[in-house]
Amino acid sequence: MSKNFMQLSIEGLSKDFDTPHGKVLALDNISIQINSGEFVCFVGPSGCGKTTLLNMIAGLERPTRGQIKKNGVPVTTPGIDRVVIFQESALFPWLNVIQNVEFGLVGRLEARKRKEIARALLHLVHLGRFEKAYVHQLSGGMKSRVAIARALALNPSVLLMDEPFAALDAQTRDLLHEEIQEIWAKSNQTVIFITHNVREAVRLGSRVFVFTARPGQIKKEFQIDLPRPRDINSQEVVVYAQQIQQELKEEIEKFLKEEVDREWTLKKADFLRPAGVDLGSGI
Amino acid sequence: MLIWEAVYRIGFWPPYLFPSPWEVVKALFWGFQDRTFLLGTLVSVRRILIGYTVSLLFGVTLGLLVGRFKTLDETVGSLMTGLQVLPSICWLPLAILWFGLSEQAIQFVVIMGAFLSIAIATDSGIKNIPPLYIRAAETMGVKGIKLYIRVILPAALPSIATGMKLGWSFAWRSLMAGELLFVSIGLGHLLQVGRELNDMPQVMAVMLLIVSVGLLFDRLLFARFEKRLRQLWGVAA
Ligand SMILES: Nc1ncnc2c1ncn2[C@@H]1O[C@H](COP(=O)(O)OP(=O)(O)OP(=O)(O)O)[C@@H](O)[C@H]1O
Ligand SMILES: [Mg+2]
Repeated sequence: MSKNFMQLSIEGLSKDFDTPHGKVLALDNISIQINSGEFVCFVGPSGCGKTTLLNMIAGLERPTRGQIKKNGVPVTTPGIDRVVIFQESALFPWLNVIQNVEFGLVGRLEARKRKEIARALLHLVHLGRFEKAYVHQLSGGMKSRVAIARALALNPSVLLMDEPFAALDAQTRDLLHEEIQEIWAKSNQTVIFITHNVREAVRLGSRVFVFTARPGQIKKEFQIDLPRPRDINSQEVVVYAQQIQQELKEEIEKFLKEEVDREWTLKKADFLRPAGVDLGSGI
Repeated sequence: MLIWEAVYRIGFWPPYLFPSPWEVVKALFWGFQDRTFLLGTLVSVRRILIGYTVSLLFGVTLGLLVGRFKTLDETVGSLMTGLQVLPSICWLPLAILWFGLSEQAIQFVVIMGAFLSIAIATDSGIKNIPPLYIRAAETMGVKGIKLYIRVILPAALPSIATGMKLGWSFAWRSLMAGELLFVSIGLGHLLQVGRELNDMPQVMAVMLLIVSVGLLFDRLLFARFEKRLRQLWGVAA
């Protein structure tokens, strides 16, 4: 497959949410083209719709307007060609490590083959000795590794990662950056990676998209032309990160201002609500 | 035991109302000697095992359905919570009218006592599953009935286990209440016989038996099961 094959095409995508306070526009007219084998990062203020966009690519949510095409075919449902790795790792506590990794393969492959694949992946993420452990026995970094192995088991062409390392300490995160880059370099997978950590985005991404505050739009796109592997503390990474941070700062300030304003109106509304209205509800 | 003996020695209550521990142990011994206690225990345990199994099957199934279908939730769901307020022994008159003075009538009371709490716990377990689990499963291509069996049911298990434990104690209480009011051989009935004969040691001995059987199952089965689940879910036991 050629590197420049256009694989994911997001076209004029918008998303409204119905809430008790009326319609909320979460994403506004997003258009992105992503090539096969790219590593793309999304950064943006909290609540700008990054997760929503990822979920729509995964097929877990439907766009209000616009569409997403994969290899020219509109995405409408979840599919194992696009697997999500969630922030909280979302491992199943009632299964042990290897059963978690096998999860998506059950019913697709016979047991022996499944185990073989799962074992190989656990070795890849350096958890070979932990296949019988349960989720509560793992550290945060180990959970992230299992979640990565679980997603890779399905050999998806697109890997969607929603702040997968946000809860980890800097050392563990650094290690996982190396591992994920290695894995990605060996595979032909497209990765879409959401993060709040700008340096993480520069270290990992071939392109970084900065989103505006809600309603989320693409504010700016950065092409990261640095050789790999990249060091998170290298001069070049820091320079890119500063530029991106600059763009982000304005948006975060906007977001904070809106958030504070809303809080104020909510407080006022609470105060004005007549007492006793809730009596008898919930019976 | 010592306190019991001490209170007995003080002689505040006459011995026929407050027997010494020794009398109670003797009553236990004689009860088992002439087989009535053994028989009573076996009959009661058999009843509860049947009643509880039926309650479990009904309760979990109903809970799953109510947790899944909105229309069922709005109708049957609120009925469930309403009926749960009713102490299960209040079903006895109805059960006797429907089934007569029969084994089924007692079973009916046991089931009404247990299955609602199991159903309610299952239902709330399903409603409280982190949506993340379901999304994770969907993104890995698991949906429909498989999603139910492989994710929703196991994810709701801690809550179902709590319901099962609660259901067990309700079932046991309902059974004893039923047997008290009912001519049969169970432990509850032995209690009643003891009262009729003014045999305080027997009454106390049977009470002890009832507590022991209840506790035995609770410790042996449910406590272990719950502990294991709590471990898996990473909640400190
Ligand atoms: N199911 C929903 N119903 C209503 N509103 C929603 C729903 N999901 C998301 N939203 C709203 O849409 C907006 C975007 O949410 P989203 O989770 O995509 O943000 P995000 O960019 O991922 O934020 P963060 O960086 O904090 O994770 C938010 O304002 C959120 O409140
Ligand atoms: Mg998010």
